[in-house]
Amino acid sequence: MDLSLESALNLPHTDTEPGLLAGRPLEDWNAAYRKVESYFHALRIRNKLLLGRLVSHVLKRAMHRAPREPQRHATELAAQEMDAVVTEWFAQILEESPTNRDQMLSTRGRLALLLADMPGKWQDQFLRPGPWPEAFVKAMRDAYLRAGPDFQLSKMVPRPLDLGPITTLNNLTRLPFLKMLTVWLLLALLLSALFVLTHYRSAP
Amino acid sequence: MAQPTPAPASTPQVQRAARLFAFFSGAVLLTALVSMIFADLLWRSGWTGTSTVLLSLFIILFFLTAVGCVHAIHGFILRRLGDPQRLTCAADYQTTSIAGVSSAIVFPIYNEEVSRVFEGLRATYLSLEQTGELERFDFFILSDSTNPEKWVEEEQRWCELIRELDALGRIFYHRRASNEGKKSGNIRNFLNAWGRRYRYFIVLDADSIMRGETLVNLVRLMETHPQTGLIQTLPALVNAESLFGRIQQFANRLYAPIFITGLNFWAQGFANYWGHNAIIRTEPFMQYCDLPSLPGRKPFGGHILSHDFVEAALLLKENWQVWFAYDLEGSYEEMPQDIIGNAQRDRRWCQGNLQHALVLFARGLRGLSRIHLVMGIFGYLASPLWAIFLLAFNWALWDRENTGLSTITVRAFTPWLKQLSGTAHAFLLFLLCMMVLFLPKALALVDLALDRKRSAAFGGLRRAIQSALAETLFSALHAPLQMLWHSQFVITILGGIGVNWGSQKRTSDGIGWITALRQHWAHTLTGIVWGAAVWKMDQPTFWWFTPVMTGMLAAVPLSVLTSRASLGAWTRSLGLFLTPEETSPPAELDTLRLRMALLEKTTETAPHTSDTSLAQAVLDPYVNAIHVSLLREKQLNPEFRETLEKMGVGRTEVRELAERLLADGPQALSPREKMLVLSDATVMPWLHRQAWIRPGETLNGWWQTAIRRFAR
Repeated sequence: MDLSLESALNLPHTDTEPGLLAGRPLEDWNAAYRKVESYFHALRIRNKLLLGRLVSHVLKRAMHRAPREPQRHATELAAQEMDAVVTEWFAQILEESPTNRDQMLSTRGRLALLLADMPGKWQDQFLRPGPWPEAFVKAMRDAYLRAGPDFQLSKMVPRPLDLGPITTLNNLTRLPFLKMLTVWLLLALLLSALFVLTHYRSAP
Repeated sequence: MAQPTPAPASTPQVQRAARLFAFFSGAVLLTALVSMIFADLLWRSGWTGTSTVLLSLFIILFFLTAVGCVHAIHGFILRRLGDPQRLTCAADYQTTSIAGVSSAIVFPIYNEEVSRVFEGLRATYLSLEQTGELERFDFFILSDSTNPEKWVEEEQRWCELIRELDALGRIFYHRRASNEGKKSGNIRNFLNAWGRRYRYFIVLDADSIMRGETLVNLVRLMETHPQTGLIQTLPALVNAESLFGRIQQFANRLYAPIFITGLNFWAQGFANYWGHNAIIRTEPFMQYCDLPSLPGRKPFGGHILSHDFVEAALLLKENWQVWFAYDLEGSYEEMPQDIIGNAQRDRRWCQGNLQHALVLFARGLRGLSRIHLVMGIFGYLASPLWAIFLLAFNWALWDRENTGLSTITVRAFTPWLKQLSGTAHAFLLFLLCMMVLFLPKALALVDLALDRKRSAAFGGLRRAIQSALAETLFSALHAPLQMLWHSQFVITILGGIGVNWGSQKRTSDGIGWITALRQHWAHTLTGIVWGAAVWKMDQPTFWWFTPVMTGMLAAVPLSVLTSRASLGAWTRSLGLFLTPEETSPPAELDTLRLRMALLEKTTETAPHTSDTSLAQAVLDPYVNAIHVSLLREKQLNPEFRETLEKMGVGRTEVRELAERLLADGPQALSPREKMLVLSDATVMPWLHRQAWIRPGETLNGWWQTAIRRFAR
């Protein structure tokens, strides 16, 4: 019985050296596994069987690429494949071109997964090739986040408020050295008050 | 142009004038009587310049107290005999159909506790759903949050909420790129984008909750009274846990009904707006209530801070009515949980109210609007006046001691006081002052005693009386602190030191001894110095000053202990400070409490650290998708797009910042730079992809740690 990982993942037997897999140390693939698994965790794939299958699927693609791109780290290859797999699947289910540059497709796809409640209802459909259940496809394609109703734009215009005599007073605050003058005036008033209060007492 | 239709249910002008005259005449008469007695007392011990100062201040301060007392007297009588001139009584509004009427419920928020805001909204939404009128309302969370953490968390909570309630297209979230004009600017922004879709909008605060039935009734009232531009409810203070919060809550629930009934007696259709828990007719508000910037420099010039009073005044100016619907139940709000938090809120309100001095003389305003503005101003100006009054009294004492002359009192000028000794005369004055001060509390208790059902809701009459006594004791200790604080606020504001529009701390964590000492050391020191000075001058007088001094000396322990939730719970177990919402919680408050308890448990297991939300906005595939989708949708609004461009969004500089964020971690970026990156709808999805596909060694260690958190 062939228990090698190459057979399980349907990979060509290229590595004869022990401790290597697709030309990379086992520990590198371990790190790649953790990264891909983290991303699927972030997508709330909680079912361990599904999770394992999805990660294996991504790693398999990365391992196929590995011999052709020896300069790349296993984690980098795996992360790129993960991105490609997910984006291609979004393109299929949302019927959009997979080559959009500004990440519109990826954003739309992730939002659709959330609004269609993929983590709750449709985990088994995620990354699975079509055809998919009609309800799932509809939920994915109809998903749209409305932050507000349609705009009915208008423009409120402030009406001038005639503040009366206060405007003149308030404009005084624009005078230079006003604060200093006010402090001096207050001091003079205080001294005058002290003088009056301490020098004059009228009998009842 | 919106014009109010004729007002069939409004109070005739003559009757209104008579009410106003009767009401304020009562306060003037009371002030005149007691001021005469005070003037006579001053006369007996020899008239000086200080006597003139003391009498002038006494007249102003006593008048303010008398106005409060007369409110309570009128309120008590009307509550006992029935008030036919209240809005809810004027027509059979409850059968009015609101089919075809669309209303918006708006929650303007600013760096608030996110979970509390959204759970409050949930409670209101569920309550409204039960009325069967949900489809007539749309909910808007209008965020002005400047903290990136809060922003991302708000978006996340909003998305969770609409999914849980299946409320997509019913609950909306909008965050402004710039918080220009603060709360009133936020509302204006909403009205400019969507105002024309709604006949009415209901403004709720971040901590407001409203019963569905109350929301529907407000719309019905508006439909029944086409001449009304705004209806303000009386929000009940709820959900307090600390001792301070529970005392305030109890006082609000016990005393507010008689005061507001008295207020409605003279205000009628010329009432006021308190900024939230109110319904507003959209068209006239949009037409008349966009506030201009005031001329001159801060603190008076510039943006109007306390916009609510002015907006009500502008509606009244254009012949729209403003009413208090004070007897509509089911309108709630929360309050600061400690003395310091309360003072922080007062600091902001103080500047706003003092700024009204500019608007006070604006041409065309209604006389009653000016009364509301003056009362708001004196709400804070009274404190420094009290302080000056007490100091002037001490001055007179010092002056007398300094001359070395003994005080020879002469007979009173007023014939019927002639037989009284100087001490008895002073005691009579003291009794009258105490009567005016405490009569409202006594009337509120009598009113409670006469209503058995309401009495039971306060835990029984005996407990309510005990609570009122304890509340009075606390108020006596708290009042000197308020006096010092408000005096400080008035002086600093007039000195041109601006106010920071900070968010309020509204949970009952309690404050520490060090914090309290830092905040209250000056109060304690004032108490020691002042007390020692009075003791040195005249020991018998010192004992009269002990209530004032005790409050100052006990400031630190008072502040710390009353902030404790454990003491709040203890008094509750004793049956003290109970309110109707505590003894029999309404469904909407129960919903909120249960949800908050649940969230508290969840939060304990997932601690929120610095930049957690930023990490989520970049790494979490769903949070990033929500964030980017909202940014893209908002860009459809030309005003929003323009603001973003002004901020620098879309420039290559943002991509460079994003590179720095990946390479050096969030600590390398300033809060403004983080906001810039978060505001860019192109950079954010790019960041998501890069953070996941780049090799670990090219990313800052912070990202690797954040990614590892997902591998749970």
